Amino acid sequence: MSSILRTKKIALVDCNSFYVSCERLFNPKIRRKPVVVLSNNDGCIISRSNEAKALGIKMGEPYFKEKDIIIKNKVEVFSSNYSLYGDLSRRVMRTLKRFNTKIEVYSIDEAFLDLSNFPDQDIEKVGKEIRDTVLQWTGIPTSIGIAKTKTLSKIANHIAKKKQSGVTSLINIENIDPILEKIDINDVWGVGRQLTKFYNKNGIYNAKQLKNKSNSWIKKSSNVLSSRTAMELKGIPCINLETTTTKRKSCVVSRSFGKRVERFQELKEAVANYCLNASEKIRSESLVAKAITVFVRTSPFQRNYGYYSNAKTVDFPIATNNSIEIVKAAVTILETIFKNGYQYQKAGVMLTGLSNANEKTNLFSSEKDEKINKDEKINSLMKSIDSTNHRYGRSTLSVASAGVQKKWNMKREYSSKIDTADFYSLPMIRA
Amino acid sequence: MKLTIPYYLHKAGAGFPSPATDYIEEDIDLNIHLIKNVPATFIIRVQGKSMVDVGINDGDLLVVDKSLKPKNFSTVIANVHDELVVKSLVQERDKKFLTSGSKDFIDKILINEEEDIFIWGVVTYVIHSTY
Repeated sequence: MSSILRTKKIALVDCNSFYVSCERLFNPKIRRKPVVVLSNNDGCIISRSNEAKALGIKMGEPYFKEKDIIIKNKVEVFSSNYSLYGDLSRRVMRTLKRFNTKIEVYSIDEAFLDLSNFPDQDIEKVGKEIRDTVLQWTGIPTSIGIAKTKTLSKIANHIAKKKQSGVTSLINIENIDPILEKIDINDVWGVGRQLTKFYNKNGIYNAKQLKNKSNSWIKKSSNVLSSRTAMELKGIPCINLETTTTKRKSCVVSRSFGKRVERFQELKEAVANYCLNASEKIRSESLVAKAITVFVRTSPFQRNYGYYSNAKTVDFPIATNNSIEIVKAAVTILETIFKNGYQYQKAGVMLTGLSNANEKTNLFSSEKDEKINKDEKINSLMKSIDSTNHRYGRSTLSVASAGVQKKWNMKREYSSKIDTADFYSLPMIRA
Repeated sequence: MKLTIPYYLHKAGAGFPSPATDYIEEDIDLNIHLIKNVPATFIIRVQGKSMVDVGINDGDLLVVDKSLKPKNFSTVIANVHDELVVKSLVQERDKKFLTSGSKDFIDKILINEEEDIFIWGVVTYVIHSTY
């Protein structure tokens, strides 16, 4: 096969300021303005336009800390609108799939593509075509970095972000040392804060220095992961594309409350709702959970009130995806970790030890017909709950402990309220 | 958007009706027929009356495909001074203009990328409720 002889060519496609770009799609008035998007509950800044970055607004900062700059510079502020971002993300990924390449969807706004089948000399042109197509079809601008390994494609992407064309290929560059020299070691993919400290101590400050360290030094002084990073910087692929969606190991549903929650009853309703969402999610993927964790905490920013945070895990006797059982377990946990007199700001549930539902066996359950009958009944109950909710909107059918009024729902003061995937929230355009 | 309509196998025409008329073969999936390029197609709702003479009314739904090249007289979504609007595209020699489709609105805007006037997407279908 000729493809074996060809150089490995990995592209990292990264959407530029993705959430901001989504907000701009149907609101061109903010095309050139500084824009930020806030996290759940309008807590922190999680996406910034280039104009906002230029003002010195930092990623991840609490909104209130940047409020002065925001007001002074008339920065446009949006609450996160995840259903819109999710729909546009799916559109971007589907567009990328049209190029008939292997693809790993790495996050909501990033994907690795294997472009090895394209000739080396055309690779920059191919990148440009991918970028233009995504922009034309979905309206989302991207940056594309192409190199021999995933780690290098991240670095190429870094460079592409600063270029007008938005595409950078390192494939045909003989000596990439001058490029790697300009990349701080903590900007290298897979190098976290701890590793940065360690490398700095050993005189490694940039990607070039790590690349040119001897193999034996790296093997001796650090772990397998970092020796993979060094190999990848040399252009030897060590990290494969994960194209098959590996089944998840856990499922977390957690949210910050729109207002502080003090009463057990309200907290219980919130947690029960998270359980319903989580169990619906694992049912849709035909999984069952072995254990459940519930956690609660108060706001770390409220100085006048005491801080409290707690979590507890229990195992299910039989792995389950049954909403009723899951809610029951969660409420029992909550009773043990709830403390009166605190203003809770966040709660969540985590289902862990997920495995395939049909492999669910138990010494006792399989032997008793009665139990099987009950299981089947519950399964079909869960199925009809899911399909009803799918048809008539989430929470049409629910468990009573989930409550009816949701006082604790998310705070989304500045939401654009547009959803390209929801018939009742479609964008409006003037004629 | 997911919208399906039962599709009858039997064709209307001369002769006796088929005894299998009540046999439903499969559903028509309007998504397949109205949306050719899924990731590039958006459904939007119209607000206003400047396009009534080309059959687009206030509140109608438009199927907009961003991947298509507009033709002369295409209905388009355009960015005009950083507002998205529904317009007709008219080509005169080497120049392209945007116009409204109503006697009450007379306008003719020259497409000029540098002045922030450009095409955003092409309208492929209008969905209008008549009941």
